[in-house]
Amino acid sequence: MSNQELLGKKPLQILEKIRENLEKLNEKMEVMIELQKHRRKDIQTIPTDAPLDVMTLLSMPDHLRKTAMTVCRLGRATADEIAQQTHRARAVESAYLNQLVVMGYLKKERHGRKAYFYVDKEGQG
Amino acid sequence: MGKMVAVHSYKGGTGKTLLSTNIAVTLAKHGRKVCLMDLDFRAPSLSTLLNVSKTECWLNDYLNGVCEIDKTLIDLSGRIGNQGKFFVSLANPSVEAIRDMSAKDRKWEMRALGRILSLRNSLLNDMGFDYIIFDTSPGLQYSSINAIVSADIVVVATTLDNSDVEGTKRMLRDLYDLFEKKTELVLNKIMYDDSLRAGKEKLQSLVKDTYEVPLLGVIPCFCDISRAEGKIIFVHEKPDHPFTKILDEIAAKIEKT
Repeated sequence: MSNQELLGKKPLQILEKIRENLEKLNEKMEVMIELQKHRRKDIQTIPTDAPLDVMTLLSMPDHLRKTAMTVCRLGRATADEIAQQTHRARAVESAYLNQLVVMGYLKKERHGRKAYFYVDKEGQG
Repeated sequence: MGKMVAVHSYKGGTGKTLLSTNIAVTLAKHGRKVCLMDLDFRAPSLSTLLNVSKTECWLNDYLNGVCEIDKTLIDLSGRIGNQGKFFVSLANPSVEAIRDMSAKDRKWEMRALGRILSLRNSLLNDMGFDYIIFDTSPGLQYSSINAIVSADIVVVATTLDNSDVEGTKRMLRDLYDLFEKKTELVLNKIMYDDSLRAGKEKLQSLVKDTYEVPLLGVIPCFCDISRAEGKIIFVHEKPDHPFTKILDEIAAKIEKT
């Protein structure tokens, strides 16, 4: 690789990194906005790594139940894939999904620029 | 793409097992590939009803994660004259198994939900089943709600008994609605004279006003069914009986849903 190529690639990598960080920041802000909307106290009392069983699904607020049930059905999905099923905006689903991660019901895994959400069935118990 | 149908009710003795077995066999007789599953782990009855005492694996084993679903399947197509494909997957009726299943914790139930949901891939997509029919426990039991969450259609069996009507109304509002399930109602054990006098339309509007869900069928109180003592698959053994005609209509409606 020539010096010129290295020089050309570095700014690109930096920009990619900035974009990734902005996306992460954006997701965190979406969670904060949602927490504000749906009364923060409802969410904070729940322990982390809680099992997402049907009784838990039943006790959830409607907007989160819809998202959680879709993740259960798909097994593992991105916010985009969930949004396609629920017919709600990707940003909204992203916020709900991250909220469910904060609550301990879902796990999140990043692969490059994509974030996958899933129910951690093996890690519990 | 196949469908999952859960047969449920608020109270016991409303005819869930009678309905689920006969819907499954009717669909099979219509040429479909059907699997009937006993999710009533607290009071398993299909093994007795279908006179099957041995199986490589029980449905309990699949949910416990010790075998795959194909090991639990028993092919009973020969019993219904080979018109369609009729398989069953049974709950273990031993007291020890019932005790074991009723002591499961929430984490186990969460995994069980995942395994029931994955039947869509294994049975419907990979093995080409057209229908999975779940026979469930009455009321709000974990296994029943797992089936309801997984199902495409919930068939609710109810009688006109007052406590059943009130309980069913609550369940429709606080359970099926929350899961956004397509729910259809079967009125069972209706006194024959009453259903004749009231007429189908009147019953339909009564159901719509009381429960706010569509009526899938009305089954009069048939003494022949009591007389059979749960020893036969009614729609197979009595092809000309009015019950069989009603089940034909119910199955046809499910196919259209």
